[in-house]
Amino acid sequence: MLETRWILTIATAVGALGMWWLLPSREPRGRVAGAALLAIALGFGASQVPPIGNWAEQGIFFVLATVTIVAAIATVTMTNPVYCAIWFALSLLGTAGLFLYTGAQFLAAATIVVYAGAILVTFLFVLMLADPGGRAACDRTSWESLVSATTGVVLIGVLSITVAKVLDGTGGDEMITTLEPAKNAVLAEQHVLAIGAELFGRHLLAIEVAGVLLTAALIGAAAIVAQSGHRLKKNDQ
Amino acid sequence: MENEIALLHNYLVVGAALFGIGMIGFLSRRNMIIMFLAAEMMLQGVSLSLVGWSRFHGNFHGQTLVIFIIAVAACEAAIALALIVVLFRNRGKLDVTVLQDLREANEPAFEEEPLPELPSTETDNWPTLTPAGVTPEIESEQTDYRPVI
Repeated sequence: MLETRWILTIATAVGALGMWWLLPSREPRGRVAGAALLAIALGFGASQVPPIGNWAEQGIFFVLATVTIVAAIATVTMTNPVYCAIWFALSLLGTAGLFLYTGAQFLAAATIVVYAGAILVTFLFVLMLADPGGRAACDRTSWESLVSATTGVVLIGVLSITVAKVLDGTGGDEMITTLEPAKNAVLAEQHVLAIGAELFGRHLLAIEVAGVLLTAALIGAAAIVAQSGHRLKKNDQ
Repeated sequence: MENEIALLHNYLVVGAALFGIGMIGFLSRRNMIIMFLAAEMMLQGVSLSLVGWSRFHGNFHGQTLVIFIIAVAACEAAIALALIVVLFRNRGKLDVTVLQDLREANEPAFEEEPLPELPSTETDNWPTLTPAGVTPEIESEQTDYRPVI
């Protein structure tokens, strides 16, 4: 039986190769080989995280995490930008499910409403302005795909090894203590009430500042686009 | 409670994976909108880690921070998309190489090597409708402001 860190190192190497294979390149490569390499890497990685409960809990978490990560990989590797945006929406839905799974009900709803509902639609509007077919040169090539894939996957591998080391108690000296579920405020029955009290109590000033920031961003975005249109018209005349 | 530590472990690993994949996208893709989606994905990875920690510690500090992350991400998306729209109006491309005018004076310019031609997707036989009825007469003042297609 290999040690955790060696298995994760193998997973990192295989994952980097798979990511490199899937990223857009000058001569299109088939997707199957890259997907297979990434599936192997994900399998190795998943074998090294501890089980979280009975098979139902484990299964739900596993499905949500797989949807999130596979959709994320598809987001960064598709050549057609519209598909990228739609895969990103799927990844967001998976994230929202993971939020719900860990008891962050309000955040799950907020992620779907704000990200998938508002931000992503804005992205799609802007995408429709441009050539949405994925035939432009900038969609069919990528910068240094091998180097960037290696960088990102090595980061994931190192973080996973570190997390495994710290949380298994083999790395740090201090004991990790956890709360009883009864004392866990996140799992309280009136979850949204509690998070509202927290936001409008301890963080009241920050909430007000965030409101001002949103207004300023809205006005700023409108001003940027309006001014540039004005200038373009002047140039035409 | 072994279970809570296992849950935190899983969330941190998934968060790290999302962050890393987003980083790959930001580093390697050339379309500005996809780079931006990748940056949003990195924020999602951080949010997952924060929510995992919030559950582990049993308080709302992590979740509150995620709410602020969502607010800042919305602002960021508005401003960045406005800038991208302006750039696209000026240059007609979503390619990030339109920004290479900002490079140092002694750096060579990036030159696009020609890519192999893609097979054409244009169809020769569009479906047609049988003409029916009569063509309506349009007054000239109505046609004046019609866009030329």
